Amino acid sequence: MGTVPGAPRFDIRQGVEAAALAVGFATALRRAGLATSPDRAARLAEALRFVPPDSRERLYWVCRVVCVSGREQLPLFEAVFSAVFDGLIDPAEYRGDRNAPPMAGSESHSAPPNAELRTRPAAPDTRPFGEVENSPKPYPPEPLHGRGDSDDRPAPERDAILMMASTDEQLHDMSFAELGPDEIAQMRFLVRQIVLCTPLRRSRRTSRSPNNRDRLDIRRTARAAQRTGGDAARLVYARRRPRPRRLVLLCDVSGSMEPFTRVFLSLLQGAVSGAEAEAFVFSTRLTRLTRQLAVRDPDQALARAAASASDWAGGTRLAESIRGFVDDFGRRGLARGAVVVVFSDGWAQDDPALVDAQMARLRRLAYRIVWVNPRKVARGYQPLVGGMAAALPYCDAFVSGHSYAAMAEVAAAIQADHTSARFNQRTR
Amino acid sequence: MSGPARVGAEDDVSRLVPDIASLQETLAAGDYLADVGLATALFLAVRLPQPILLEGEPGVGKTEAAKALALALDTPLFRLQCYEGIDAGEALYEWNYPRQMLGIRLAEVRDTHLEETDLFGPEYLLRRPLLQAIEHHGPRPAVLLLDEIDRADAEFEAFTFELLAEAAVTIPELGTVRAAHPPIVILTSNRTRDLHDALTRRCLYHWIDYPGPARIAEIVRRRVPSSAEPIALEAASAITKLRSLDLVNPPGIAEAIDWVSALTVLGVDRLDARTVDRTWGSVVKNRDDLDVAVARGADWLVGAAHG
Repeated sequence: MGTVPGAPRFDIRQGVEAAALAVGFATALRRAGLATSPDRAARLAEALRFVPPDSRERLYWVCRVVCVSGREQLPLFEAVFSAVFDGLIDPAEYRGDRNAPPMAGSESHSAPPNAELRTRPAAPDTRPFGEVENSPKPYPPEPLHGRGDSDDRPAPERDAILMMASTDEQLHDMSFAELGPDEIAQMRFLVRQIVLCTPLRRSRRTSRSPNNRDRLDIRRTARAAQRTGGDAARLVYARRRPRPRRLVLLCDVSGSMEPFTRVFLSLLQGAVSGAEAEAFVFSTRLTRLTRQLAVRDPDQALARAAASASDWAGGTRLAESIRGFVDDFGRRGLARGAVVVVFSDGWAQDDPALVDAQMARLRRLAYRIVWVNPRKVARGYQPLVGGMAAALPYCDAFVSGHSYAAMAEVAAAIQADHTSARFNQRTR
Repeated sequence: MSGPARVGAEDDVSRLVPDIASLQETLAAGDYLADVGLATALFLAVRLPQPILLEGEPGVGKTEAAKALALALDTPLFRLQCYEGIDAGEALYEWNYPRQMLGIRLAEVRDTHLEETDLFGPEYLLRRPLLQAIEHHGPRPAVLLLDEIDRADAEFEAFTFELLAEAAVTIPELGTVRAAHPPIVILTSNRTRDLHDALTRRCLYHWIDYPGPARIAEIVRRRVPSSAEPIALEAASAITKLRSLDLVNPPGIAEAIDWVSALTVLGVDRLDARTVDRTWGSVVKNRDDLDVAVARGADWLVGAAHG
């Protein structure tokens, strides 16, 4: 085979050094937003010593095994891999198609070899939100006002707290949908402080028990006996230590929920950093946000969340999203024995029968299901929307959570420790 | 592990696994069919050496891969099944308290003199998988399987990793046990929680894809030697077809093996609608799924198998 158009950065046959290849590829990955550390590049170079990359397949697998650390990274990896290597290593793959879009190596052949590496296609999202200006998301959560940006208020954060004291009462009862931007900012601050506790369950770890009806702990007894010359003077009992159940929050970020998600996301963030909750958002598909929300700076957390979920303010596919949650996370243990909270108005595009089926599956896994529907308070509200009506029989609690005062209800519903009061009103 | 001193595997291991193709062959000789991706992953795990994290749907053979690798290297497999609340006593070592008590009593009865060091000798130590893997005397490193690491607490994950990175354990009463042959570590995870960055950074990673019908048939033929080739292939394509349905528990390789065994016992050599109707129970193991599958009908399934 002849040469390929473009100056191949990594043509193995010309004997590019493994180290240069590894560093170049790792850099390309990092530029594309896939976290690769220098030690990974070193490891890749090391791996290429053992597996000479004499075919695309070999090279592909070595790079993938070394550089990828999760299934969700695979699409990005494949894109970068094919941009960097395709047509450069195995010209047979190129097949002389002149109409094909230019390959990564070929665009730069008139430019200096590293020109494209100097551009930054997607920076990792570590910047504070204020810098991310032209965000493509239809609805990126707005930052709290006055996090040091040049607004007209001098010490805004403190102001917000002081103002809360005076406008407290009225703000507490106002629906989130009626709040102006400033009030939303204050409300976010308040909501983040809400502490969510789940009911306890017995863990497998034990602690010393004063009660001799509990199980005898031979190990601790033997240890205690060593102090008394091997005679077990005191028997030690053990009981299983209680631990809070896992809390899973699923928040609908579709268009119809928009006025409320601005605040609910802060609740999610507070729960993730405080109660070690797992957070997901969905509209047309499900996105896990636990990791994005787990940073301390709330603005940064929301910015990262907005960057990860690409379908803000779209339609709702409730059944599909719950199915995605149950299949990929719930069944594998995340929802087992957990308290699952769904924030949604139940306005979904899917068939209610599908919602019913998926809720039944979720019901079999979860300890409690709490449904938060801010539309519930509207006068004359009846859960008649298809999705909502189908989901309701599977919920243990149905609360509104539309205002700060109503958040107390949400917290209480999450904390309640009885499954018997199943919400069993059939509305159809 | 990313231990400081060691680069590359021991000579003995390198001789045994010179390249990917030969590892694939050795694994196949142990009845484990690995595709080139998995073989590359395992090869690098052995040769770099570096711990490897295997993920994939239930039943694609994550645990089997570790067993097959141990067999291929002719070395023992130490398996630690992780669960919530697992601690060092269950993973690393524990003193055998009842036996120590008995030792004291016996010494009293026999009126022999007993030193404290006598009680904290190796014979009173209960060795758990991690310690066993580290103590393994060779000639080749053991394979250590940390199954479902995501079920253990985050603290335990960190503790295990620290220990494996050092490849040494300090038991206060006995001193430090340093691994002569640091184990080859394989981790599996079901993704119930995000693993710690530090762990994923140090590991190689491989996602095991569900194999195609031809490979399933090949696996089935190895596991059920008495089965005829056409039936294995038909069952495999039928199972692949079933997986396209929206099932709660999609049938996997284990179901394919069960099914072909059942068909072989029944003396069936071609798959037809009637046989399928009789043997649903070997393939679909959930009532909701059975409804879905029966609704599509055995004819559809068999048609798929022949088509």
